This record gives sequence, structure tokens and C-alpha cells, in this order.
Amino acid sequence: MKVSPKLQALIDKGLLDRLPVSFSSFCLDQMKDWELLFPAERSYHERLFGLLDRSSAESVEALFAPVREVERAMGVNEKTFPKGKFTLDQVDFLNRNPRYPEWRAAIAKVFAQVDPVLDADVARSGHARLVVVMAPSDLAADPSRMWLRIASRGQRVALDGEFAPGLLGSVVQDFAAGKHGGAYSSWIVEAGSALARVPAAGAVRYSYEGHAPYRKRLMKEVQAVVDAQVAPGPRQFSERLKQMKILASEGEAARDPLLAEFARAILLSGNGTLLINNTFVEWATVQGIRRARPSVMVVGFGIRNKVKPFSSLLIYADQDTSNPIPSQMDTLGTYVDLEVFYQYIWQECEKYAEYRNNTAYLFVGDGMDEILAIAPADFPLLNAKGPVKPSAVAQASKDWLGV
Amino acid sequence: MLEISKRRFVQLAGLSIADKIWPKWLRAEPQMPRRDGRVIIVTFGGGVRYSETFAPEGQRNIPRLVGMRPEGYFFENCINSGVLSHFNSTASIVTGNWQRVDDFGFQPPAGVTLFEYYRKQTGAGPMDAWAVATNKSFASMGASGDRAFGLPYGANVVLPKQLLLEAVQDVVKKGAEGGVASRENVLQRLEGVLSEGYEGVGWTIFKAGRTLDKQVRETLVRGLVEYINGPEAPASGDELTFFITREVMREFAPRLMLVNFWDMDVAHWGSYSLYLNAITRTDRLTGMLWDEIASNPHYRGKTTMLVLPELGRDGDQNAANGFLNHRSGDPSCRNMWMLAMGAAAPKGHTDRPVYHVDVAATAVELLGVKADGIAGKPLRELLL
Repeated sequence: MKVSPKLQALIDKGLLDRLPVSFSSFCLDQMKDWELLFPAERSYHERLFGLLDRSSAESVEALFAPVREVERAMGVNEKTFPKGKFTLDQVDFLNRNPRYPEWRAAIAKVFAQVDPVLDADVARSGHARLVVVMAPSDLAADPSRMWLRIASRGQRVALDGEFAPGLLGSVVQDFAAGKHGGAYSSWIVEAGSALARVPAAGAVRYSYEGHAPYRKRLMKEVQAVVDAQVAPGPRQFSERLKQMKILASEGEAARDPLLAEFARAILLSGNGTLLINNTFVEWATVQGIRRARPSVMVVGFGIRNKVKPFSSLLIYADQDTSNPIPSQMDTLGTYVDLEVFYQYIWQECEKYAEYRNNTAYLFVGDGMDEILAIAPADFPLLNAKGPVKPSAVAQASKDWLGV
Repeated sequence: MLEISKRRFVQLAGLSIADKIWPKWLRAEPQMPRRDGRVIIVTFGGGVRYSETFAPEGQRNIPRLVGMRPEGYFFENCINSGVLSHFNSTASIVTGNWQRVDDFGFQPPAGVTLFEYYRKQTGAGPMDAWAVATNKSFASMGASGDRAFGLPYGANVVLPKQLLLEAVQDVVKKGAEGGVASRENVLQRLEGVLSEGYEGVGWTIFKAGRTLDKQVRETLVRGLVEYINGPEAPASGDELTFFITREVMREFAPRLMLVNFWDMDVAHWGSYSLYLNAITRTDRLTGMLWDEIASNPHYRGKTTMLVLPELGRDGDQNAANGFLNHRSGDPSCRNMWMLAMGAAAPKGHTDRPVYHVDVAATAVELLGVKADGIAGKPLRELLL
């Protein structure tokens, strides 16, 4: 396993050996593909183990005592938990153990004590961030019926004109080139191609539509594995899936091993990301936030198609070719889906110190004349007197980000 | 003038107000075995949250169950304390013991199922206990590996959605004219799969061997035909589950059934609207099942239907991804409800905690059989 020199020095000192094996094995597993971790993930591990290293032996022992206790009660030993190994076998062992809820509670207690200290570090070096979540133009909903689950947390701002995706290009591009920019700092995740046409050099881009060649190949290959019955169980199946990497011809993500692996993981995560455009968008966004902590995240949802009778049961089949019934948009269903996803994206960000109190969230609709802004009180748009021009939204975002 | 002693007066007075001050179950006499009782357990498989069902904001998704509740007994707090995976959750319900086996169907339930207790003790035949389920791993749900019980006393397990999957896959592969848009194509393949290799879809039908017994086959085909020609053009796995269940009830009138609906597990796809649609569909099908019980002379007046979700799903505030998953173990995953309807169910409700493992303990009592080693406790509210 290759990790940073700083972390390797801590491992060499035997820091992980002093921790409960279920905790240390999980951490080692998370770090084993170091090259495929985003800078934010690497930094987290360095800070976590740095903190444990700086802490006294007694306080570390006290911190992990409840975990050790429950490990003993669960029967964690070298056989059930070989050192450094955290595969599906260990996950299975934990899940099926009667004391699993206690183990979860003990682990949660560790992080409840550690996270505030780590968060304080992050908060000290915090900077302004921007998350823009865009509803598609075909969503025939009145603005007053939009963002209902989170509207009370922000302020509706009337626009003097309609919002268009093109306004966001220079915001993303200028940030990526600025002092807080750099690799993986700005992301654009979308269902279709509206944002793909927006020039934003330096941004990480994922698009459900743009990944169609990769998605369709994955569906075929997964179905072939299922049909051939060469993967008798979930462990073998998972190993097969890990080999299905994006090809250079299937998208820009293939150029960067980290982004290529992220694309594979998103599409094969077991949820509906292969099947439903907005699930792909939500899951890629949530995982991007969790793992990469981008400073600028622009999210574009689309309209989901209606589920076709019978053929929709075949989850790895291309619905356009497996059923002669033409695809139809499900605008009402999409509206219901997105109302939940707006909440989930906002919530995910607010879990992390990087975003809390630093982030302006703009929920916009392509072609809509009203937006919802959830932001700290000093975000410029919150003081607008009367409708603002859509271009002023972009300018306010730049001012907020300091670019 | 009638003279009574003070002691006798207190006794009589106590009896006359007992209805007002004691729960009915406390006054119940020990029960005789319920020799002709029938039990149908209906699970909202795949998992559903309180917030989309019996919570005030969820009731619009389940109009049939909301309408049925005043006629039955509602357990407001029915808890799944076990492993929050599909096989283990349902296996806990049918065994009365928290199950911690492999969740992909590679192991049978670790405890004796209520199907086995029922069939072994009553001598009931193989057509008297059925499990109509969805997930292929549930093929082994009908019997434990216990040597004293096991397959000879297990339930017939049929997996209608697996049959449908096979048929649809065949139609798509063969590219027949009209493809799956032609319901006749689908019916032909459904019948074909049934004739050619029903065991391939995971079914276990006792006594029938490799070729389906003629009566069983005709029954299942009738279910398929009803499904394909249904006036509402049904196309989901759960609708097929319903039609097959109804035909089995009409033809064999089993005394013990597990009906495992599953469409709502579409939540894993990440579409909240599809998840809500599936809940409403399951609600409708459960209502139709109750209608069948109420109109079928084999079942009317002697059947208890127990409806419960096999598990919940993660809460919206949860760290995972809300309704998409059910891994967190938070209250939204564990704390569910159960609605009991029919013969054993008085009108009422309770908020006392009951558990999924109590279902099997109650069912065996309702069937008049004894079961040793069930961790769950019989639900006294249903055993008056």
C-alpha cells in the first residue's frame, strides 16, 4: 500500500496497530488505493491520524475503549478480522452480528469526539463556496411550487428575466483559475448536455447523457456476467465490476485515473445510476461532495423518462431498444423526484465543515424567473430590493467567491 | 330481597366494570387450539418507511389500508430488531427468531419456519402452505435446514416476478413482432417458461417433481391469463404476485400463506415518485387480497391477515442516501407498523412495542399448533 510519506511515517510508528482492528482495518481499506483518493480524502486521513498521534496514549485508549469492548463481545479476532482486511466478508460479519447496532454506536461516538476537532481545523482555513442546482426547462411547475422541502431555510429572489445555464460558465471557469481553484475544485454534474456547452476550463464534468457509450457498454457487460453465471455470489460479482473501466473513447474522465474510477463507481454503485438520469446526477453530486469537497458545484437535473411496461424489469437492458413503445417524459414524476433530491444535496453539503456557514446555495430553474437562495446573511443577493437581472446572479456569485 | 355478601358484591361489581378498566386480553380465558383458523401474512417487501405510509403525511399513499384500519387491530410500533436485509428480515418473520444467515439465499432460515411447524403437527398436505414471493433469494424461504423438519414440511415457494423476468427477457431476445408491447407475446413466454423449466426460476413445488402437477399448472396459468388480460393492463411483478396468490387461494385454499410484495424496492433506483407509486400499488393489491378473503368461502370469517413491512428505509436526515437504502439502522429503518385484519383481530390499536418475531409466534397459535424455540411472543391482542 502506498500512502503519503507523512501518513506512512505514522503507520511505521505503529499508530494503527494500537487501534481496534475493525476501525484500523476499515481505515486501511479506505486508504489502500491512495492514488485514487481525492486530495480532500487524503488530507482527511492525514489529519485524522495526525490528531491521534498528537493525542496522549491514555486519551486514545479512552476514546476507543467502547469499540474494543464491543469488538470483544462480537467475537472480533484474527480469523474474523485479519489485520488490514476489510472486504465484504468483514462487512457481512458486522452486519449479521447481533451487536452490530452497538458497534455502530461505538464508532459514531468516536467520530462525535474526533470530528469537532478536525472540523475546527477546516473552519479556520475556510473560504466561500457555491452550489447551484438547476431544474430542467421542461419541468412545468410554478416557482411557488418549487423547492418546498427547503424553501423555509432560504429566501426566494425574483428575477428580471429568465435564468439560463450559460450564465454559470464564467463563474466556474474564473473560480477554477483563481487562488482557491485547481484540480477537482469545480464540478459540473448534469443529466443532459445544457451545461456541457458552457465553456468552463478546469472543471470536472460528469454527464449522464455524455456517458451514454460507457453506460450502455456497462449494461451489456453486466448482463453478460449475469447470463454466463460466472459470478456465483456478490463477492465475485463485485470483483468483475471493478474491471469494467471507462475507455478513452467513452469520455474525458478516462484521462484521469481518479475521475475514471469515480465514474465507474458511480455507475456501478448498485443504485439506479445506470437507469435513471437524475439518480446519476444526485449520486454523483453527493459522492463528489462527500469525497472531493469541491468549492463550486453546478448541478443540472433533467426529465426522467416514464418506466416502460415489462421491459423495465430488465434493469441492464437499454430501454430504447428493448421495447418498441416510444420513450415518454415523466414530468410529474420528475418534479416529485427532484423535490427530494434538492433536500438531499443541500443536506449532504451541510454535513461537512467546509460548507457550513461558507456556502451560497442557489436553486434555479432553467427559464424560471425566481430562484431560491440559501446562504449566509452577507451573500449579496439576499439584500436585493426587487427583481434582479439573471446576469446579476452570476455577478453576485463571482463576488461571493472572490473571483 | 336478594341478599349478597360484601365479598360477592365486590366480585359482581368488579366484573361489571371490568370491561371499562381491564384490557380485554387480560380477562381472556386460555384458548383452545384454533383448528380451522387460517393465516395470511402480507409483507411490504423491499421496505417502506412510516413517513410514506401511516404517518399523517403518508396516508394519502395507502388509501386502502387507511380505510381498513378501523376494522382491524393496528400495532403502531412493530419493530425489526434484526439484520436489515431482505432475506433475514422476512426469515425472522416466518421463523419467529432473529435471523443472521447469508442474505443472498445461499442458506435456508436457521430456525424452523412456521410452515414446517404447521405441516408437521397437523399433517397438512403440501398444497396447504404457500409462500408467494419475489426476490430469487427467497426460493429457500419455505423451509429450514432442520433435520427433524425441513423441506418435507416446507411451503411451496413460487416467485412470480422471476417467472415474468424470464419471459420478458426471452421476448426481448427473440425480437418477436411487437416485442414486449404485445401482451400476448408475454403470456406465451410465461406459459412457455412454466412448461419448460419452472425450477429455473427458483420455484419449489412439492410433490410435483420436475413437471408441474396438472392442477398446479392450470392454476398458475389461470393467474397468468388474469394478469395479462387485467383491465388495468398490469405490468408489475407485484400485480402478478397478486393474481397468482388469488388463484392459489381459489384452487387450493391453503391455511397458511406468506405473500411478499416487492415493487417498492424500486426505491433503490433513486426515484421517489416510482417508490410512492409502488407503495400505492401494493396498498391496492393488499386491499384486493382482503376483498378476496372476505368473499371466498374458504377464508371468510376464519382468516387472519397480518400486514407489515419487512423493514423500513433510511430516514431523510440519514448519512447514507435517505429513502434509497435501508442500511443505517436508524428508527426509520426499524420502527414499523402492523395491521391485523379478520378473524382474530378485534377493532383497536396499541402503541406497545411488538416485534417481527412475534408474528410467527402468533401465527402458530392461530393455527392451533405448538412451537418450541420461538423467541417471539404471541400477540395477546389477537388471541382472545
